[in-house]
Amino acid sequence: MRKRSFNKRLFNVCILTIIFILVITLYKSESFPMEASAYQSSKVLYWGTRGQDVKDVQWKLRNWKYYNGKVDGIYGADTYRAVRRFQKKNGLKVDGVVGVSTARAMGLNFATTSRGAAPASSTAGINRKDDVYLLARAIHGEARGEPYVGKVAVGAVILNRVRHPSFPNTVAGVIYQPLAFTAVADGQMNLAPNKDSINAARDALNGWDPTYGCIYYWNPATATSKWIWSRKVTLKIGKHWFGV
Amino acid sequence: MDKKRWIIPTVLAAVLIISLVWGYNQFNLRNDYETALINHYQRLFYDTKKHVENLQISLSKALVSDSKEQNVLLLSQIMNEAYFAQDKLSQMPVAHAEIAKTEKFLTQVADYSYSLIQNHLDGKELTSKQRETLFNLQGNSSNFNKELSLLHDKLIQGNFRETTISSRQRNKLQEANKEMVQTRLVNLEKEIGKSPELIYDGPYSDQILNKKPVGLGNKKVTKNEAERIVRQFVGDKKVSKITTFEEGKDMPKAAIPSYTFSIVPKNKSEDMATHIGISKQGGKVVWMANPRGISKNNLSMKQAEERALKFLEEKGYTNMESNYSLRYDGVGVFNFAYKEGDVTIYPDLIKIKVALDNGEVVGFDSSAYLMNHKKRDIQTPTITPEKAREAVKIDFDINSTRLAIIPKGNREVLCYEFKGKYKGSDFIIYINALNGKEEDILQIIKSENGTLTF
Repeated sequence: MRKRSFNKRLFNVCILTIIFILVITLYKSESFPMEASAYQSSKVLYWGTRGQDVKDVQWKLRNWKYYNGKVDGIYGADTYRAVRRFQKKNGLKVDGVVGVSTARAMGLNFATTSRGAAPASSTAGINRKDDVYLLARAIHGEARGEPYVGKVAVGAVILNRVRHPSFPNTVAGVIYQPLAFTAVADGQMNLAPNKDSINAARDALNGWDPTYGCIYYWNPATATSKWIWSRKVTLKIGKHWFGV
Repeated sequence: MDKKRWIIPTVLAAVLIISLVWGYNQFNLRNDYETALINHYQRLFYDTKKHVENLQISLSKALVSDSKEQNVLLLSQIMNEAYFAQDKLSQMPVAHAEIAKTEKFLTQVADYSYSLIQNHLDGKELTSKQRETLFNLQGNSSNFNKELSLLHDKLIQGNFRETTISSRQRNKLQEANKEMVQTRLVNLEKEIGKSPELIYDGPYSDQILNKKPVGLGNKKVTKNEAERIVRQFVGDKKVSKITTFEEGKDMPKAAIPSYTFSIVPKNKSEDMATHIGISKQGGKVVWMANPRGISKNNLSMKQAEERALKFLEEKGYTNMESNYSLRYDGVGVFNFAYKEGDVTIYPDLIKIKVALDNGEVVGFDSSAYLMNHKKRDIQTPTITPEKAREAVKIDFDINSTRLAIIPKGNREVLCYEFKGKYKGSDFIIYINALNGKEEDILQIIKSENGTLTF
């Protein structure tokens, strides 16, 4: 009797382990494609975006009474507020940006519609939208707690670096340079930028430079490198010191 | 009792096994990531090395070659290899401070070659000074090559692994790097720092980098005077509080040394502040930004442009002409260029942002104007517009022609500006008004927000 119950116990443990291993491997193999698809977000709508996709969103929101403005394809203040209301009601992250999850909740799929309906235009895909969004993400990651002028300043430093011989020659090159920005290293840069960061990125790209040509900035409270203090200090904006 | 006794060990055993399995998976995953990262860095390293090798070889060849055509080819190879090397080097996991000069060296080699190519195409021979510079550059790149070889020998002895980066490994990384990558590159950095400044005409040259503003005037302005200028510029009635931004000791080294103020408007909170910069020399408004939100679009772009022009005249900027505009998010942004007689002077640029709800000017940037504006002796064109037209493709469909001064490196060039269409795309073509040479081509991209030039 004792022996049998021992065997039974062993059997139970084995079964349990096998089940757990199965569960874990299943979970693992499933979690991979899920992660991958989250990064495949081919299209994100945010403040300032225009086009058919925005019209689709406005149409949906209007039908569901979140939005009562014009269906004009311009992502403005009203659309932004409507999207936030929709996100709040549906338990989504309330950021006023229509990304993959919000679009899915609305029953929209930009990935296929935008690719299928991409018209051949004379601009051949040349525009500044991508630059604006990349810069806005960097600004948002690095300076989201800063006053507006501090955000523009961070954007201006990135653009001053692009024009400087000691740094890479593209916006992406500067932003992703190893050890250059903490928000890039710890992934904060991948947060969706808010309206302020996008406007700051636009202002910086339009040439506004509150730093008068600086190529460095640091926060004295969190700066880890002593070297940074050997830089030439010119101006303090918000919590950041700027230097050349 | 007996039943309960076996539950706890079973659960514990299960937990142990689960965590072992989980940990093993994590371990494998981590190794995979690390291998991928190391492979990536190894590739970058070998690429950098190869590009620097090629750079050095092409530089040596350019020194030997006496043929202009061959030189143009070699210089374009030098330009390519230097840009590639710089691009790869800037992706290596090394602190920027340690390789800033090396990166600058590579960018300027590329930029310098480009300016020499232009020289050649203009029919000019290499001067002895330029040959000497090439010789120095060749020396530097051969040093670079040697350091990279030494680094390579150390790396194959073992631990490239240590140079991988993660914030948790930062300390370990720093120690390992001190031994390897950084010491070698720092040596190089010191050597390169010693070489003399390159003197040439290109966008990355030290001459452009250290350019001083010429449009400020001579008057030195105190902080109090600057504050008065601010009140005048924004309108005294609107100001309730002015604060100054804290300044560092090296402010004089900024492009345009300035006082920077925050203005809190009456009946508004602190975060609605307008910011404004006043140059210490000359007391000019360098920039102004009012970040208020704008919800309504009451004005057309035409009306907004008129407001902007009126604003400029009020502030004493006359003869300004709007050249292109952007519209987004309730504002219109206009680029105004200075005009002297019938010549548009693009370097003297002022940008103005107008709110489309009430026509208020919410942004102002005259840094380009202040850097470049001066009294110019504009030469009279020596060739006629008809003659210049002949330098443009015959089937280029021209809409307008006018005279303009455009910036080119450190110089300014008087050109005929031809705006028009070629095979459905919009372009601006600049033909030198003194010698008929094609100086520049801009492509115009029209979007729903406005016009951009590339």
